[in-house]
Amino acid sequence: MSDIDCRVMKMNKKIFRSSLLVALLVLTASFVMIIGILFNYFQLQIEKELKNEAMYISIAIENEGAEYLKSIVNNEERVTLISADGTVIADTSVEAEELENHLDREEIKKALADGYGTSVRYSETLTEKVVYYAQLLDDGSILRVSTKQYTVVTVLLGLSQSISAVILFTFILSFILSSRVSKSIVKPINELDLDDPENNNNAYEELSPLLSKISSQHKTIEKQLHEAKKQQEEFSLITENMSDGLLVIDKNMQILMCNTSAKKLLNASGNINGNVFSVNRSKAFRQSVEKSLGGERFENEMIYNDKHYKIIANPVYEESEIIGAFIVIIDITDTIQREQMRREFTSNVSHELKTPLTSISGFAEMMMNGGIDEATVKDFSKSIYEEAQRLISLVIDIIRISELDEKSNIFVKEKVDLYELSEEIIERLKPQADKKSVKMNIFGGKAQVYGVRKILDEIIYNLCDNAVKYNNNGGTVDIIVRTTDDEAIITVRDNGIGIPESAQNRVFERFYRVDKSRSKEKGGTGLGLSIVKHGAVFHNAQITLDSQINEGTSITLKFPT
Amino acid sequence: MRNRFDEQLLQLNTELLKMGALCEEAISYAVKCLTERKPEMKDCAVETEKMIDHKERDIESLCMKLLMHQQPVATDFRMITSALKMISDMERIGDQAEDIAEIAEYVTNADFQSKVNITDMAETAVKMVMNSIDSYIKKNTDIAYSVIAMDDTMDELFIKVKNQLINSVKKGTDNAEALIDMLMIAKYFERIGDHAENVAEWVIFSITGNHNS
Repeated sequence: MSDIDCRVMKMNKKIFRSSLLVALLVLTASFVMIIGILFNYFQLQIEKELKNEAMYISIAIENEGAEYLKSIVNNEERVTLISADGTVIADTSVEAEELENHLDREEIKKALADGYGTSVRYSETLTEKVVYYAQLLDDGSILRVSTKQYTVVTVLLGLSQSISAVILFTFILSFILSSRVSKSIVKPINELDLDDPENNNNAYEELSPLLSKISSQHKTIEKQLHEAKKQQEEFSLITENMSDGLLVIDKNMQILMCNTSAKKLLNASGNINGNVFSVNRSKAFRQSVEKSLGGERFENEMIYNDKHYKIIANPVYEESEIIGAFIVIIDITDTIQREQMRREFTSNVSHELKTPLTSISGFAEMMMNGGIDEATVKDFSKSIYEEAQRLISLVIDIIRISELDEKSNIFVKEKVDLYELSEEIIERLKPQADKKSVKMNIFGGKAQVYGVRKILDEIIYNLCDNAVKYNNNGGTVDIIVRTTDDEAIITVRDNGIGIPESAQNRVFERFYRVDKSRSKEKGGTGLGLSIVKHGAVFHNAQITLDSQINEGTSITLKFPT
Repeated sequence: MRNRFDEQLLQLNTELLKMGALCEEAISYAVKCLTERKPEMKDCAVETEKMIDHKERDIESLCMKLLMHQQPVATDFRMITSALKMISDMERIGDQAEDIAEIAEYVTNADFQSKVNITDMAETAVKMVMNSIDSYIKKNTDIAYSVIAMDDTMDELFIKVKNQLINSVKKGTDNAEALIDMLMIAKYFERIGDHAENVAEWVIFSITGNHNS
């Protein structure tokens, strides 16, 4: 504001100055004119008086002769009698003999010609002037009456004190009045309410177009602000609810925007601003930022805090000039893990399939070459049969898992009693259990689940099979079936070898074996618990595993009813 | 004029951050060389060190340009002078990381029968460098002071490692050359710690105007 004040004159001041100037000009002009008119008027008056006087004196001279002049004692007026040839006959203030011939004087000339004549002569200093009136007498001589008069300058000088007083007074008066006037003119303008331009009743009419313009602009600005705010809110609502991180930076790498997900993913807290490298300065991130600001769309992967992130950086152009970049950060840890699992599964499947096939092929080759006795052939055939059986069970397991994976609709759901089912399974597993002298117990009572019998059977069979397989000789397996208000719960508990803590998270993975060296001897495909997990997921059941090494394992399944 | 100056200061800031990040990278390569037996990381360390040198020259000329053209005073001036000091320390950190990577090619922690606490030193060095750069980014003197405090831990670790190496020499069970190399690596880490401390001190100077030396 102060800058503007310096350059632009205030309205108040301007009005004040102009009105003061006008007042002073008018004052001076009228002063000069009045003096001029008055002076002219006085001059005429004097001439009139001189004429009258000359008339009286001429009558007196006619009666008394030139001697009369000597009787006139008057300092202000001078009377001179001049003969027709210009010689001064008598004078009231100077001896007649001292005066020169007056014939060439202007008033005398005029009097000789017209009977009377006037003239005005100024003294050398211009402070005085003398007014002459000459009249031609009947005898041919001329009577001249003159009087001294002060000039305008002298009058003004003489009056200077009072004139200055008047000037001073009028100046002060016009100063005060101008100031009042200018203030009163500016007051309504100063009192304008610009926040509510339409509601100014006291405003000048001349200002109304301006006010209505301001009012309409007011409304436009308000509308635009409202829209901008709305857009901003929408934008932040969208970006804040994104699960991916979003960062917008300018060309100086300063952060313009950073959503909550980005903060979370990059493990940054608090208010983020300043340089983008203050958030993260890993090589992959730096590369993405630099490349994108170099005008290249760049994708990169970054490992940070044991998580995999994909960084997509895009330059932002404005009229072919890069003004910044936006960076999207996507957490791809799950995808990578899934991909890794799929890769592992493929390689595991091929490996598991290859092992029995290699044995089968080996035995068959030896038999093909011949030279083997009957007993050995029988032995080989048994081995080939066993390996083939293993292959079959493996393929069956893989098929089951794929079925569960695809959640195919070929399964028919029905009411299944877990207790009854468990009893059946105990019967089926009896031979294996007896072989290891493992004792199998069942506790609890009826617990109905609405599910697929085949899958539930497989779940419990696999759990019990594992409990027997990975048990010590003479161990026990307890199956506990119970219900709560909204759940059917089955727990399979053994006091076998247990699962080490490090492996507990992985036992449900396909082909995962805690002890790979002993897998063959125990049999099984490595898919058992994976089938259990998939089956549980199929039934929306919850699995909990509780295991202590060398103490036993307990797996609980909670089915919603 | 001031706008241009501000832009250049921002650029200086960014370049310093990049250089700091490169230092972190160089050390992490050196540490990987040493602890994870990844000799291929040596080339990365050498490459990064070259980039650090390059960056130092860039930043130096930028600082000179700023000093000549803008003739800054007070905080701005302090920021530029401390930047000049910081880059020389950072450059040394890069050099030492490269040196470690070069020696680590021939010697790894696993070569020793007696336990050597070199991994602790490596971890502390990485943390010190990272924190000193963090303190610069966040303009946080607390972090800077924590770096200065960490240097004491570093010195203690160095003495510990030195004693362990002396014991090994006395026993004579390990390769003497490898022991000497290890001592040098330990010394390099200790030096990195010192440089990180210097950087932290310059950060404090640029913020407060006081340099506690």
